[in-house]
Amino acid sequence: MSAAGATPVAGVGQLGYARAINAALLEEMRRDERVWMLGQDVGRMGGVFGLTRGALEEFGPGRVRDTTLNETFIVGAAVGAALTGTIPVAELQFADFMMIAGDEVFHKMAKWRYMHGAKLSVPMVLRLPTGVVGGVGAEHSQSLEALGMNVPGLKVVLPATAADAKGLLKTAIRDPNPVLFFEHKGMYRVKGPVPSDPDFLVPFGEAAVRREGAHLSVVATGLMVPRALEAAERLATEGVELEVIDPRTLVPLDMETIVGSVEKTGRALVVHEAVRTAGPGAEIAARIQEAAFFALDAPVWRLGALDTPVPQSPELEQLVIPSTEQIAAAARELAAL
Amino acid sequence: MEELDLYREVTRIRAIELLLNRHIEKHGFGGFWHPGLGQEGIQAGAVAALRTDDYLFYAHRGLGYALAKGMSPVTLLADLFGRNGGSVGGKGGGTVHFVDPERSVLGQGGTVGSSFVLGAGAGISAQMLGSDRVVAIFFGDGTAARGTWHEAALTAAVWKLPLVWICENNGWAISVPIGEQSPTENIADRAAAYGVPGVVVDGQDAVAVREATTEAVARARAGEGPTLIEAKTLRVRGHFEGDPQRYREDLADGLEVPRDPLAILRERLPAEQADRLDEEARAEAEAALAEVLAMPAGDESVVTEGVWA
Repeated sequence: MSAAGATPVAGVGQLGYARAINAALLEEMRRDERVWMLGQDVGRMGGVFGLTRGALEEFGPGRVRDTTLNETFIVGAAVGAALTGTIPVAELQFADFMMIAGDEVFHKMAKWRYMHGAKLSVPMVLRLPTGVVGGVGAEHSQSLEALGMNVPGLKVVLPATAADAKGLLKTAIRDPNPVLFFEHKGMYRVKGPVPSDPDFLVPFGEAAVRREGAHLSVVATGLMVPRALEAAERLATEGVELEVIDPRTLVPLDMETIVGSVEKTGRALVVHEAVRTAGPGAEIAARIQEAAFFALDAPVWRLGALDTPVPQSPELEQLVIPSTEQIAAAARELAAL
Repeated sequence: MEELDLYREVTRIRAIELLLNRHIEKHGFGGFWHPGLGQEGIQAGAVAALRTDDYLFYAHRGLGYALAKGMSPVTLLADLFGRNGGSVGGKGGGTVHFVDPERSVLGQGGTVGSSFVLGAGAGISAQMLGSDRVVAIFFGDGTAARGTWHEAALTAAVWKLPLVWICENNGWAISVPIGEQSPTENIADRAAAYGVPGVVVDGQDAVAVREATTEAVARARAGEGPTLIEAKTLRVRGHFEGDPQRYREDLADGLEVPRDPLAILRERLPAEQADRLDEEARAEAEAALAEVLAMPAGDESVVTEGVWA
């Protein structure tokens, strides 16, 4: 599809996932002067992954703040600012660094409103580059989104396409609640069609059916979405049709779409890059069997990362997370059960 | 007269401290009361230097900070006793969470010291929105050990955030005396590392605390950055009411306040005025407690309320 240049209607252009995030940030800062950003190297450098490029030049150092190496401050100050009338978008260089700011993320950001009788709100976004990206090691490669599901008060977002990266981030910035925004750093360069409408929003709690199919529902998140779609292509040649569902947000979680699909196919495979044990898939699988037990023709299966830390070697790290081949093999086996 | 107003606040806080002490002794108490007896001069003195729209992150030793900021004793005691009429709508219990957006009382975290980084954020908002609001952050000598102060101070000093840190150094971090926790005599000395003023003040002298805070607030409002005030005081009671304090031999388990801030302030006032304020404060505290004890406790519905905006 190409944009119609002559019409004032906003079009759709090809944009990388990272550029889509960058566009969302700049557009929201233009729309609302209360929106600002902070983090290590977000200003002069434009972010270690280049996500905040152009922001300092356009909005100045008051709204684009380079912090010290200090996750506690980045998240804690964002919470305090959110309580007092501004809308911070904080960036941690790696999602893993949530652990360093654990008190701020899981106690302050998540609970301040609740603890204080809903008299205050915490409208902020914490941007978290997540996942395996190529040799960055055990403390820079994790997929920790289940932590956010385990502490009530945090919305958890995990875009798998460039369009969703933009639309979900804009929704996150406009949401009055604190949002953990997991952006997959291995997908930053993946291009896709992205609407240029400054009010293009992707709502939370609405899963996307990425491919329809009759034989098996595959619920996949993040980098596992393109891998599941690739696996679906392969299985289609064998006559097995996968339905691929991308929940897009884990809190809130659109179980209605997932359960509706499972009721149609009778089988479900949940795939994520987080560790298999107590990963998001454990919750999704449990809810599927609670809601659709009598529609199931086979047990709900899960694929996730191995229960090991991620090794530093770029070759070995890929062995930890589900591959397209593994997804295809599991789907083939489950569909035949 | 300013001294009269200050005395009124100190005696109001004192009246609640003494009343709660009696009440808890007789009837017990479901949560934890961390008494601030003897530290009222710091709480009232520092808050007297603030405007209503200046942000307050209080500490857990008593409820004097929020009372002096203008919150009603009924509301605060209702929070303390987990009653419906509290500022957190019945979710409360103990001295941790009070809130009042209209008076810029922003609350407290259960992990003490978390207010340092949140307070810095409130300072950023004030700076960004072009207001001249100041953020006051109270903490104790035990909390001074948290890395969050250093982490906030580093950037607050560079960005000249409008913060005033008020340390109530009562000499005890629960059971460990300050001499075993701090390599320097004064916590205020730590300010020098960040190039901001560190001021030591007599915490029993409410006027001195107010003056030191006024200076720090003026500095913050003028865009000159944060100040660390260390108010030297002492802990009259246990860490919480009911703490047997077996670790401690320096004070008997009594209510007598050495270098009592109330007595020190009283010398500056005509006795009959002070007597009248004492009487008003006692009556206010008793009426508030009676009203609160008659309130229903927070009901089941509040448990699931307020997670999301």
